[in-house]
Amino acid sequence: MIRNKSMKRATLASAIVATSAMVLSIVPAQANSTGVTATSIKLGVSTPLTGSAGLVYGKVPGAMRAYFDYINANGGVNGRKISLVIRDDKYLPTLAATQTTNLILKDKVFALVGALGTATHSKAYTAAALAKNNVPDLFINTGFSGFANKTKYPTTFMVLPTYNMEAKVMAKVIKDNFPGQATFMIAQDDEFGADGVAGFTTAGHKFTATPTLYPQGTMTAARAEGALTALGAVPGKPVLVLFGTTDVTATLLKAAEKLELTKKFTFLAGSVGADANTLLALGVKPTTIDGVISASFLPDAKDLTDPYVKQFIDINTRYNQGVTFDNYVLAGMNSAMLTVQALRAAGKNLTRAGLMSAIEAKGSTFASAGLVPLGYSATSRVGYNGYWVSQLNAQGEGKPYGGKLVIYTTDSGAGAVEISTFVRPTMPKNGIPTNS
Amino acid sequence: MKKAGKVHKPTTTRKRLLLFVLFGWLLLILGDRVGELELYQGSFVATYALAITSVVLLTGYSGQLSLGQSALMAVGAYAGALSIFNAGWHPVIGLIMSALIAGVFGLILGLVAARLSGPYLAGTTLALAISLPTLANQFPILGAEEGIAFDVGPAPARFGEDFSQYKWFFWISALASLIMVFFIVNLLSSRYGRTFKAVRDNPVAAQLSGINVEQLKVSAFAISSGVAGLSGGLLVMLISGVSPSAFPLSLSFSLLGAAVVTGLYNLKGVILGGLVLVAIPEIADSLVSRIGGSDNLTTVLPGFLVSALLILAVVFTPNGPGHLLKKHH
Repeated sequence: MIRNKSMKRATLASAIVATSAMVLSIVPAQANSTGVTATSIKLGVSTPLTGSAGLVYGKVPGAMRAYFDYINANGGVNGRKISLVIRDDKYLPTLAATQTTNLILKDKVFALVGALGTATHSKAYTAAALAKNNVPDLFINTGFSGFANKTKYPTTFMVLPTYNMEAKVMAKVIKDNFPGQATFMIAQDDEFGADGVAGFTTAGHKFTATPTLYPQGTMTAARAEGALTALGAVPGKPVLVLFGTTDVTATLLKAAEKLELTKKFTFLAGSVGADANTLLALGVKPTTIDGVISASFLPDAKDLTDPYVKQFIDINTRYNQGVTFDNYVLAGMNSAMLTVQALRAAGKNLTRAGLMSAIEAKGSTFASAGLVPLGYSATSRVGYNGYWVSQLNAQGEGKPYGGKLVIYTTDSGAGAVEISTFVRPTMPKNGIPTNS
Repeated sequence: MKKAGKVHKPTTTRKRLLLFVLFGWLLLILGDRVGELELYQGSFVATYALAITSVVLLTGYSGQLSLGQSALMAVGAYAGALSIFNAGWHPVIGLIMSALIAGVFGLILGLVAARLSGPYLAGTTLALAISLPTLANQFPILGAEEGIAFDVGPAPARFGEDFSQYKWFFWISALASLIMVFFIVNLLSSRYGRTFKAVRDNPVAAQLSGINVEQLKVSAFAISSGVAGLSGGLLVMLISGVSPSAFPLSLSFSLLGAAVVTGLYNLKGVILGGLVLVAIPEIADSLVSRIGGSDNLTTVLPGFLVSALLILAVVFTPNGPGHLLKKHH
């Protein structure tokens, strides 16, 4: 009897354990919603605020925060207010690694948005274990094509088109508009310039001479003058591709002024190095930037006829007081607008995995200021998929090259550069997304 | 000043070893009781403490002012990364290579440096700090600005699933730093180490006493470079990869500043120096969030606090807090 009782108890206990195990095995693992409460969503960004990079890119995080403040003042996202923790990494990989780790472990943010820089962010991504913790890494501000590798960066979503795409579009512009002219390239000697050189090679473009590559921070006025003096002897009006940051474009253009060679070349400056406001602020004469051709994917920040630009200027005036509106502010607000749509698309039950799935499923339809299509899908983490070509005037305005807006789309591989009929989605009323 | 008649008994190597083992054991226990963020910060403290040791050894003990420690750290970092990433060697070998290659580089540099002193040496090493990391961009094998990975891999499975990557970093950096500092402390308390001080205080008198001043300066430079190289290897381990911008000139100045705060003439305060470099931004962050300041204030405050600390250190403890403790004792 006792034995039977013991056996019964043992059987009962076994049954309970087995049933509990079965129940537990079918209950899904708790979804990760770190940084989200019923009333708030905490986001974070590690980016340069000080140092030379901070001078140029320091406006981006403030612009994002201003847009989030605007959304918060209009009800937030599904009743939740967005806060953005901004940490300064001074464009140093060591600091980017520690600051991003701080954002994850100390600030406990839900997702990262708008991290800037290839060397910095690639280190930070691994150091802060973003992949392991499944932390969404949204709309990073670098065009290095390596970040599109979903195996290496499973939680990263790019926003800029790749430098490779940009070079392919530039190659087409040269082929269509400057046949027979000598072409040269001066590029930054890192993954940024290498991506650009590779893009020209993929497009089948051959420069008249091997591209001049310079390590970051080494393009002095003397070196710029030396390079331009050598090219100044080439007959005709050579096309000179400048694939570097804005401060280097300024150094080269000022060297051209000194050597009286501004009209000798057709300057084709990459999107990273052609911000007109910055060029003028760095002392380049308005007459020199007049005629510089560049590629872009956003509208010009001075185009007041563009509804997105107009709305963002209004938000900047109210929520980002004392900051001059320019291409960097525009880019920051645009990324913030994409973020709000991503959060909305992920639904009320916000999880990290849900947010990334939502961008993969719906990201290509998000409204944005971009004049070229967004390419998010289950297999692509590249944001904008192309460029339009602009020409600066003496007022620093970027107008469509040739008088008509032409949108080029392409990929980072061997795909052709095609002219697109893409028309961007209409701006949500008052710039406040209502998607789901 | 010591009282007359009191015999100075130097700590024996065995006693010192016991102290280091005890300290390591304490760190081990501490590592189990703190969070992942603290472990990660602790790894940086250990790494910076080692880098500061290299500055103290070179500047404080052998009297050579170098502004190029960041470049020597970069040499070690690249040597370690190439050993692990390209040659596929074990991470421990990679870290040994960091110290070894940087040491050999320092030996060559030391041969030149021995002919220079004061501002000339500072200028030469300054040029090195500016140019050397940038040179890395010239060689495709070094991976340009994106750099190359420095991956020591996850902790061995026998430590259990709960043993995080940050704890693994902490163990490696703390152990490597402890071993290296133990070696340096022993070296400095040896007869050979005492000749360093003799050369620093009065090179002419040292030479008259039969010390080969030039040879001694070269060896100090080589050993200091080896220590800096190991700390460079550890630093890029913590950020998972090496690239030129990880070693800016400002790093050299920060290390020198921290060495002044901790005292250039003894190694007792190097952990304090590491703490200063890691803790100041955290303190600034907490202060600003407590008083509700702006992001700009968070950005500016660390520099201000370090400067204030530097001035206070120079005024009140010119030889470092370690020296002050000794004096009271």
